[in-house]
Amino acid sequence: MNRIRQWLSKINVETIKIELMNTAYGERTTLMAKLDPRVAIIWYLLFAILPWLFWNNTILIGMLVYMVILTALSRISPLILFLLCFGLVTEAGYVIFTALFFGGDLTAAAALLTFTMKLTIISLASIVIFTNMDPERFSDALLRFKVPETFCFGISYGYRMLPILIDEYQNIFNSFRLRGRFPEKKGVLAWRYVYHFCVTAVKAFYPMILNTAKRTRTTVEALEVKGFTYGMHNPEAKELKLSYLKTTKKDVLFLGITGVVLIAIIYTGTLYPIERTIHQL
Amino acid sequence: MPNPIPHQKKELNQSQQLMIFVLSMSLFGIANIITEIVPEFSFGPVEFSVSYFAFIPLAMVFLFSPLPAALGAPLGEIIFADLLMGDFGGIGELEGFIEFALALYVAGLLVKNPNSRKQIAIASLVGVGIDQMLSTVVDIGKVWVGIEELEAVPGVPESILVLEGISFVNEMVISGVLFGLIPAMWLVPRLHGKIEPLMGFAPREDVSFRSAKEIVGARFLVFSVFFIFVGMISEFMAEMDVNFAVWQPEFIEQFGQQFLWVGVSAAIIVLILAVMGISYLKKSSSSGNPSRKAQ
Repeated sequence: MNRIRQWLSKINVETIKIELMNTAYGERTTLMAKLDPRVAIIWYLLFAILPWLFWNNTILIGMLVYMVILTALSRISPLILFLLCFGLVTEAGYVIFTALFFGGDLTAAAALLTFTMKLTIISLASIVIFTNMDPERFSDALLRFKVPETFCFGISYGYRMLPILIDEYQNIFNSFRLRGRFPEKKGVLAWRYVYHFCVTAVKAFYPMILNTAKRTRTTVEALEVKGFTYGMHNPEAKELKLSYLKTTKKDVLFLGITGVVLIAIIYTGTLYPIERTIHQL
Repeated sequence: MPNPIPHQKKELNQSQQLMIFVLSMSLFGIANIITEIVPEFSFGPVEFSVSYFAFIPLAMVFLFSPLPAALGAPLGEIIFADLLMGDFGGIGELEGFIEFALALYVAGLLVKNPNSRKQIAIASLVGVGIDQMLSTVVDIGKVWVGIEELEAVPGVPESILVLEGISFVNEMVISGVLFGLIPAMWLVPRLHGKIEPLMGFAPREDVSFRSAKEIVGARFLVFSVFFIFVGMISEFMAEMDVNFAVWQPEFIEQFGQQFLWVGVSAAIIVLILAVMGISYLKKSSSSGNPSRKAQ
C-alpha cells in the first residue's frame, strides 16, 4: 500500500513533463527503435488485430509472453507500465465485482480474463512501438502510407511542442494562484478547494488559448514561407523527403522471427487448447 | 487534407484551415494532459472524474470553421495524451477519433451565433451526448465480440449495462455540463471577436461556415445517432435476456436494477434542468445583453 502511495505521489506535472521529454527527445538505442518505422507499424497492426480472432487461452498466453519479452527488451519507463497495469486491474475488478452482484460466479472472472488478456497484448504492443519510435520517422512512415499530410505534420509538431505548452500552462496556472485568493474554509469533503482548483484550471485556459492562437499563426506562417502546402502536394518534394526510409536485413529478420513465433504459438495452441467451458443456462 | 467544404459561405484557404487545425489540436492535447493530473474520486465502481475538458474543442468548433477544428481536437488527444503517455489503443483510437470528430462537427454546425448562450448550451449538450452515445454503443459491441457466448455467463451482461449506464450519466454531468456547457458559455462569447484578429481572419457571423444542406445533415445525424443508441441497447438486452424494462415482481428486490433506474432518472432530471436553464437564459439574454466584441 505504501508503495502504491509512493507511486501515485510521483504522478504530477513535473514527472509527466520529464516522461514526455524522454519520449520526444530520448536516446533510441533499443531494438524496436532501429527498425524501419513502416515495418514497425505493420508489426503493430498485426498484433492489434490478431488477439481479437482467438478465444483460445493458450494462444493468448503465448502472445502475452512474447509481448512481455519484447517490453523487457525495450526498457519502457516503469511509470507507464504501472499506469497500464493499474488501469487494467481496476477495470476488470469493477466488472467482476458487479457481476458477482448480479448473481454471477467465478466463470465471469474466467471469461473476463480472456478479454483482459487481449487488451493487455494490444496495449503492450502499442507501448513497445510508440514510446520507442522517433516522432519524425513515425510521421514520415505514415506519410508513406498515404495518411493525409496535415495529420503527419500534427504528430511531429505535437511531440516537439508539448513540453513548451505544458510549461506555459503551468506558468499561467501558477500566476493565477499567486494573484487569486485561496478559500479560507475547507467545506464538506474540501469541496471549496476542489471548486477553487477547477475554476482556476478552467480560467487559466483563457490566456492560454489566446497565446496559442498567436503561436499557431507564427508557426503556420513560418511553414508557408518554407512552402509547406506546396511541398506536401508536390510528388517530387515528397519523394525527396521520404527517400531515407529503407528496409534493411534487420527488418526482414525481425518480421521473419515474429512470423515463426506466431506460427509456433498458434500450432501449440491448437494442440493444447485451454478454452473456457461454456455453461448453458 | 481537408478539401474546402462545398456549399460553404465563407471559404478559408489551406493555411487558415491548417492554423485552426493546429490550434485545436494543441489546445485539446494540453487539456488532456491536465485532466490526467486532476484527482479522481472513486466511490466503489462509480468514479467521479473529469475525463476530458469538453469546453476546449467545443469553443473551437463554435468560434471557427467546424471541420478543421473538429478533426484537430481528437488528433490532439491521440498524439498528446495517448501516444506520448504510452496509452495508445491503436485501432481503438480510430473509433474514438471518428466518434469525437463527428460529435464536434455536428455541434459546430448547430451554432449560428457564437454570442448566443442558448445555442452554445444546446450544441454543447448535443456534442457531448453524441460522443457518449456512440462510445457506449461501441463499448458494448466490443465486449459482445470479445467474450464468446456472452449470454451464457451469468451476471456479466447486466453488470456491463449497469457500468456503461453509470459512466454515461457521469460523463454527461461532469464532462458535459460542469466542464463542457458552463465553461463554454463563459469562454466563447469572451473569445469571440478577440481571437480571430490574432489568427488573421474575420469573426464568425451568422452565415459563415454553414450552409442549409449541412445543417439538415447535422440534424439528421443527431437523430440517427440517438436511434442507433436506443436500438443497440435494446437489441443487446433482448439478445442477452436482460429484463430491465419489463416490470417483474422480483424487480424491487434486486438492488442493482433499481440502481439503473436511479441513473435514468438522474439523466432525466439533468435534461429537465438543462431545458429550464436554457429557457431562463434565453429570457435574460433577450432582455438586452449587448454582444461583447473587442476591436
